[in-house]
Amino acid sequence: MQQSSLYQEEHHPSPLQYTWMEFKNNHIAVAGLFCFAFFLIITVFCPLLAPFDPNMQQTGDLMIPPAWDPNGGISHVFGTDALGRDLLSRIIYGCRMTFGISLLLVIVAMLLGVGLGALAGMSRGFRSSFLNHTLDSIQAIPTLLIAIIIIAILGPGLVNSMWAIALALIPQFMHQTRDFVRHELSKEYIMAAKLDGASKTHIFAHSILPNMGEMLVVQATLALSISILDISALGFLKLGAQAPSSELGAMLLEGIDVAYIAPWTIALPGGALFMMIISINLVGDGLRSALRNRLLH
Amino acid sequence: MANVLLRYTNLVLVTLFILSLLSFLLAYLFPGQALENLTGLRLNELSELQNSQIKYSVDNNIFVQYWHYVGELFSGNWGVSFNTGLPLYEDVGRYLPASIELSSYALLLSFFIGLPLGFIAALRHHKLTDYSLLSVSLLGYSIPVFWLALIMILVFSLQLGWFPLSGRISLLFEIPSITGFILIDILLSDLIDKQSAFIDALRHLILPTVSIAVVTTTMIFRITRRSVIETLNSEFILAAYARGLTPTQVLMRHGVRNALIPILPLLAMQFPTLLTNAMIVESIFSWPGIGNWLIQAIYQQDYPAIRAGMLAVSVLVVIFTMSIDLIIRLTDPRRRRAERAAI
Amino acid sequence: MIILDKHHKNIWFKTTLIVLASALLCSCDALLQSKTDPNGIVYCSEGSPANFNPQLDTSGTTVDASSHQIYDRLIDFDPVTGDIVPALATSWLVSDDGKTYTFQLRQEVSFHNTETFSPTRYFNADDVLFSIDRWRLIDHPYHDVSGGRYPYTDSLNLGGLITQVKRLNGYRVEITLNKRESSFLANLATDFSVILSAEYADELKSRNQKELIDSIPVGTGPYQLASFRQDRYIRYTKHPKYWREIELTDKLIFDITPSSSLRLAKLLTAECDAIALPAHSELEVIRQQENLVLAEKPGFNVGFWAFNTSKPPFDNPLVRRALGMAIDKNALIEAIYFNSAVAAKNIVPRTSWAFQADVRPLNYNPIAAKKLLREQGVPEGFSMTVWAMPVQRAYNPNAMKMAELMQAYLQDVGIQVNIISYEWSTFRERLTEGLHDSVLIGWSADNGDPDNFYRPLLSCSAIKSGTNRAMWCSKEYDLLINKALEYTEISERTYFYGKANELLAEKLPLIPIAHASRYQAYRKNLDGLVINPYGGVRFAGVKKL
Repeated sequence: MQQSSLYQEEHHPSPLQYTWMEFKNNHIAVAGLFCFAFFLIITVFCPLLAPFDPNMQQTGDLMIPPAWDPNGGISHVFGTDALGRDLLSRIIYGCRMTFGISLLLVIVAMLLGVGLGALAGMSRGFRSSFLNHTLDSIQAIPTLLIAIIIIAILGPGLVNSMWAIALALIPQFMHQTRDFVRHELSKEYIMAAKLDGASKTHIFAHSILPNMGEMLVVQATLALSISILDISALGFLKLGAQAPSSELGAMLLEGIDVAYIAPWTIALPGGALFMMIISINLVGDGLRSALRNRLLH
Repeated sequence: MANVLLRYTNLVLVTLFILSLLSFLLAYLFPGQALENLTGLRLNELSELQNSQIKYSVDNNIFVQYWHYVGELFSGNWGVSFNTGLPLYEDVGRYLPASIELSSYALLLSFFIGLPLGFIAALRHHKLTDYSLLSVSLLGYSIPVFWLALIMILVFSLQLGWFPLSGRISLLFEIPSITGFILIDILLSDLIDKQSAFIDALRHLILPTVSIAVVTTTMIFRITRRSVIETLNSEFILAAYARGLTPTQVLMRHGVRNALIPILPLLAMQFPTLLTNAMIVESIFSWPGIGNWLIQAIYQQDYPAIRAGMLAVSVLVVIFTMSIDLIIRLTDPRRRRAERAAI
Repeated sequence: MIILDKHHKNIWFKTTLIVLASALLCSCDALLQSKTDPNGIVYCSEGSPANFNPQLDTSGTTVDASSHQIYDRLIDFDPVTGDIVPALATSWLVSDDGKTYTFQLRQEVSFHNTETFSPTRYFNADDVLFSIDRWRLIDHPYHDVSGGRYPYTDSLNLGGLITQVKRLNGYRVEITLNKRESSFLANLATDFSVILSAEYADELKSRNQKELIDSIPVGTGPYQLASFRQDRYIRYTKHPKYWREIELTDKLIFDITPSSSLRLAKLLTAECDAIALPAHSELEVIRQQENLVLAEKPGFNVGFWAFNTSKPPFDNPLVRRALGMAIDKNALIEAIYFNSAVAAKNIVPRTSWAFQADVRPLNYNPIAAKKLLREQGVPEGFSMTVWAMPVQRAYNPNAMKMAELMQAYLQDVGIQVNIISYEWSTFRERLTEGLHDSVLIGWSADNGDPDNFYRPLLSCSAIKSGTNRAMWCSKEYDLLINKALEYTEISERTYFYGKANELLAEKLPLIPIAHASRYQAYRKNLDGLVINPYGGVRFAGVKKL
């Protein structure tokens, strides 16, 4: 039944809907979102998707080229590496590891960063001033450099590199949160809440936090791409995940040994890493411009 | 103004104090004897050890020790490496300039490419040129720098054979180190074959510089583009048009200055990122820089070297970023602080 | 006005563009062409030497960097025939009882003139006495300098064998042994029996800088050390007064490049003229390149998996046997050596006369291995360490990868493997301390005598000198291999080595894995480089065309 509208109804999209509408118009960003979803699916269902065990060494099938090469075979679509491990399975597991760990790290860093940032934003006085200055300086330093320095202290290893990256990501979130909180605090609705007698925690939890969602998502995509780059870079430098692990950076490092004979062991894992970061950056860019457009209108 | 300066000096001093304290405490946190980690001497080198025991006054309490440690730091006595037995102060002095040299050339290259492209894209905002440049830049800043460097080596060194893939210069040339910057050192040296040495050094520079510059170029491009777009949308530009100026005149007289001045320090802020990328790329191109050196030290658990390298790099970066921060405040008091570059 | 202006600007713009472009093109041309200096050879070596005295270190890296570049020996092996030929000794005489050797020395041989030392005299008998007495006499003033360990000579107990080294006159030396030993001359011709300068030693002693003798070396060899930077490079310059009339280049550079793929890449881009130890996976690539040469010789070496027999449960031969059965040697050889090696049966290679084809082979049988392990009380989930060398060696081009493969095999029989690796010199130090459960390492022979395998690898005295990686000491074995030395007839010696082979096949202190071929890869414009079958690389006589 066709429902006709008797009254002239004006539909006001909520801010979130509005952002989504803007985002949808950006086709490349939507493609990036699909790509992102694809990596998310791989991360969750990777044992079902991978044709082989990523660490199974088939000593009879060393360095088989990918299927599209004249010498390649169909049983190993992406070929095998120098130890006869199926590259497709390793890349799938590698995506899980690199992507999954990064996601985890970003969530941890976000929780801590937002907490500390809120604290800094809500407080005033010397403590805040000193914190702000230190933060300003730290956030200009690349996370990877901070991570390398932390690893220099803790020693190489996957777990240590995770600690290092999480720690290095926190200042970014702190900074953004603090700025946001500062900005919101000066607005009228906060003033209204204050006049109602709301406590500081109440103001933060009920008035500011709900408005922070979008900013946090944008910041999280940024942090995610940084975290992926960092964790793979550390793996590549032998400071993070170590050799038999299928972390993409560590795989690239192993590939160097046979780079000249088996270039696909470098091209494919690196390509996967590249795709992953592009998709995240596309989503992040799309979101950011959608937000910007919304605010402009 | 004086207030700001005072606050920054204060901040730098406090940070330096924290960093030096951290590096001192590291000697205790690292495995092994603290004195070994501080001096790099092994316990069996007894006579020298007794000497340094007095120097670092290990028998006293920790504050006195720290005081002596700082004294040693300032006198350039940073201890020796476990691995090579060479004095660390000289090692850092040798390797740090190589990294700074590489990063500076990459920064220059990025400026030369990123700035003009940023202007072009902004002027063609919402047109094909803008979109294609923007897409390419997205690729550029998504690419993992170590993968890019490997691909460069595969293509330009191994397949085409155009460029060498390791080191700063062919080892057949022996360049005495004066400034630590190899191109300058070659020009200062009294080599017979100066020209071919220079060309050889350039050949070694190209691939690593380009690998690092790609990421930075895209960052600079995006920052410039955004700033120019915002400037062109502002009211004083409209006013300029209203006065009847041509687009070129508007851009030259009002656009460039107003778009560039606020972002120049932001662009300089790319230096730490560059240095970090340089550290990765160094280990691929066997570039004898601080990153390569520090990473080797981490592998070999060379604690004195880690301590010294960490201190040197973090002091360099912190002082650099803080001075840029300060310049921003002094030149543009409207800003409360260096806002993160919008890209 | 504006239009004109624009026009002008355009012209200027174009002109600048053209000038810039042409400048770029010109410089590009220069930039893309690699110019090589004909007066220097760059050799990409695999690691930093521990010092510049091969008496102190048996590692191939130290030998390559010093033995044939900086020093000479009394006698040499001919690199082609393997015969013993004169070097610093022009002739020698062996007494009838085989216990006294008299060497006539070469005259007018000069030592290196370095920044810190100017020799005032030619080489003479004093230098021979100093060089031998340094490792032979425990109370020699230089014996304890740089650690006081002489792995090669200690492992063969040469110090105990020699009773006297006497100077007959300036150019004649007599060495007396306490018993006949058939491999003595061969040992004097190895890379480790180098001749140092006694005058330099005296001067250092008076300057109280004794340890410099091994780090700033002075020898009579074709090249002298100019500078050394750890993990970066070694620079040598020509020894202008070298006694042999042979072609030398002005500069010789060892570019220290630990990664084999990087060495190959540098060879392809002409950054190196020759490389050490090309990876076995890359041999095919080198053969296909037109401007590269790959020389090959059957190797006189063995790669093995040694158990630390001083630690339970590895002191039990049956456990060792079971572990040996758990790994598929042929698969390892295929994956690691790319079929450029043969599976090892004894510790000596097939080309040696002590080789014995009919010893009991150790076959791959994981089921029997698992059963045997449980019988011997090694529980499911038992965890052990496999130490893997961090460097490539001819006998094991990729120990790390081999360890990873073995990890998978041992997992099948319920054994957890932790792979351990340190930086090379730390690695060997800790091995000598016996901190390992098992280790993947090997041995390259320094001369053609099989004794060079049997004694350094497994004799009791080799535990202390740090070449017996199995920490294995068997009276029975020592008796056999010492007996073999008392005879000169090969048939008699074969009998004793045969017995030793059987003993090893039963006790398995180590599991021999492969004998790999030796390869040398270099660019076509390098002339005169030959593979030295017994040890280090030599650059005297090599030139660039």
